[in-house]
Amino acid sequence: MKLGVIMSDYRTGSDVIDRLTAEKLGIIFVGNGVYHAASKEAGKASSILDKTNNLYVLTEDLESRGLTSANLDSRVKAITYSDVVDLIFNDYEKTIWL
Amino acid sequence: MATKKLLFVARSLPYKTEASRLALTHAISSQSVEIYLKDGDLVEATIAFVGDGVMNCLKNQQAMKHYGITSIEGHMKNSLLLDMKVMICKEDLAKFGIKEDALLMDADDIGGEVKAQIVPYSEIQKEMESVDHLLFC
Repeated sequence: MKLGVIMSDYRTGSDVIDRLTAEKLGIIFVGNGVYHAASKEAGKASSILDKTNNLYVLTEDLESRGLTSANLDSRVKAITYSDVVDLIFNDYEKTIWL
Repeated sequence: MATKKLLFVARSLPYKTEASRLALTHAISSQSVEIYLKDGDLVEATIAFVGDGVMNCLKNQQAMKHYGITSIEGHMKNSLLLDMKVMICKEDLAKFGIKEDALLMDADDIGGEVKAQIVPYSEIQKEMESVDHLLFC
């Protein structure tokens, strides 16, 4: 299964991600999920970033919160809304929203 | 003559919910209720950002550009313009590695004279103890 996860929260959903397995897993950080990609707590990046190499963050949601690509973990790629649509239609068979 | 002191404690991340915006807008609007009070009575509001809530204080928020809505940053500026006391938890900023230069600390550009204060949590705790009403958002 090629699974795309749209992660929209910062404090919930990690437990679900931990249990998910997929042939190809992609995580798209949107809404308050962007803090996984752009912040560290006690100097540590979010453990969700270790789950897959396919990590994306929606630029609009990043910038709305006063964050920029400069704040991003190097493993995460900043993408636009239309890129999200392309990912959903072209790269993943199923998508879930957390 | 009496002053009722309110403290709004914003602990929520911005935008996904309206919680932190409501904390700010209610604190701001509390300054306009004096027409309903007896002569000499006052309402004094303070807002404190703790935990995840410190993320509300980042500057250069582009919510109008992307969402078509006013930014939390704009509401913070309005609160400073009204000389409201704005406290930001020092320990929580340190936890996220956020430096002061990343934060909205003043409203100089719109004529505000008061600055936000980065304070230890203990000061916010003291503020909680000193107010009449405490509202967590």
